Amino acid sequence: MRCHKAMDYISQEMDEHLPPDVTVDLTRHLDSCSECRDYRRDLLLASRAIGATAPELPENFEWKLQLKLNQTLQQAAGETFYPWDEADHDKWRWFRNFGAAAAVGMAAVLALAMFLGPVGETGDRGSASDRNGMIATVGTESSNAGSSDRLPLGSRQQFRGGLYNSGIQRPVSLGGMSVTGDGLFDRGWSGHNVEDLQTIQKLRSLNSQLNQQLFLQQRIIQGMEAHLDTLGASALDLEQE
Amino acid sequence: MNLSRDENLNGGPTPRRAELRDIRDEDLIVMVQEGHKKAFDELVARYKGRLFSFILRMVKDPNLAEELTQETLIRVYIHAAKYREIAKFSTWVFTIATNLVRNKMRQRSRRPWMVSLNPAPEDDEIPVDPPDTVADPSESIQREELADLISEATSRIPEKYRIPFLLREVDQLSYEEIQQVTGLKLGTVRSRINRARNRFRQLIKPMLKNETLLLELERIEARAAEEKDNDF
Repeated sequence: MRCHKAMDYISQEMDEHLPPDVTVDLTRHLDSCSECRDYRRDLLLASRAIGATAPELPENFEWKLQLKLNQTLQQAAGETFYPWDEADHDKWRWFRNFGAAAAVGMAAVLALAMFLGPVGETGDRGSASDRNGMIATVGTESSNAGSSDRLPLGSRQQFRGGLYNSGIQRPVSLGGMSVTGDGLFDRGWSGHNVEDLQTIQKLRSLNSQLNQQLFLQQRIIQGMEAHLDTLGASALDLEQE
Repeated sequence: MNLSRDENLNGGPTPRRAELRDIRDEDLIVMVQEGHKKAFDELVARYKGRLFSFILRMVKDPNLAEELTQETLIRVYIHAAKYREIAKFSTWVFTIATNLVRNKMRQRSRRPWMVSLNPAPEDDEIPVDPPDTVADPSESIQREELADLISEATSRIPEKYRIPFLLREVDQLSYEEIQQVTGLKLGTVRSRINRARNRFRQLIKPMLKNETLLLELERIEARAAEEKDNDF
């Protein structure tokens, strides 16, 4: 047997894959060949070295496996979103998305509260003539109402035009002072009269208009954000402000 | 690991851990198919070390090896129902692991910036006596250093030889099992293992002549045998 062939057989002999007759031949060769004996010794040592230096698993391997398996099973079940995944991610995003829209909404509500608040609370606003140069005239109906803060009943004046653009022609009472105008600006309401119901309808109409404006503003904000994202620019860092 | 929260889905009695130790892998996976999740715990206990050892020596990155070991075991659990006893369970597990490793290594090779500066030689490029940094190892060499030397030498065996070599040396798979895992012919498996052994020997030759290192090896083996006795 040649050494080259013997070295080939040594590997198979280590794995107990050598037929008995060839094993006998190999043993005979090894007895007479020190080089092949050394080769066999080296292979056995190398094999022992691999077995002895098996790497150790990290201590928390099983815990991590458990966690990963749970996640995989949940994902397989369709639960692909984990609330903690992005808990701290971009915490100002909600503000950028809704902050501006909320500000517009708040401004609208404040404006409404200021313009349409109960008449009794508007008594200290000063005379109507002080405000925007509106013409304050004392009408006959205001005298009918006496010192009441309420809108005179049975007003024959119909609303004309918009809330802000309509002329001020109707006499109303504000804290004892009468002013003229048919806009909601000057009118208190009790919620009991027909005219007040009309007022409520007007307010609802106004509310829906504002809602539409709010919606449009939100769309514009979203469009601008998308544009910013395309440009690669970042929105204002509100935290630094 | 506690995978047994909803164990025993089919209402059968759940064997204790000690009882599971005597059960064959193939029977354990059948138990997993039937809903006995403690059987999976036992399979994990049996295979996690062997898988990690094989995968780490293939990819040489502990974090990646851990990830791929977990992925292999998860696939075993998820696809347990697909196992049929036409092959040994170990063959099935190592086929999954080998495929995952191959895919990962293929992905790595597609990234030119990830190419190693010291890649494994492709074929017969290894010199008979390669220059080796371990030619004069320190006498105080410890287990970690020995492990590093073995790991370094293993990683320098070309991949096509390394897979059958590690499946044989590390995981003690038979030639027939390696044939099934790799899809190679039996003769090819045999010759690749032989070549890999020869190259590995060349790579660690300086170490094999170092008496201190051999003593350290004997100490490690003695310690391992002691631990094994204590386990039983």
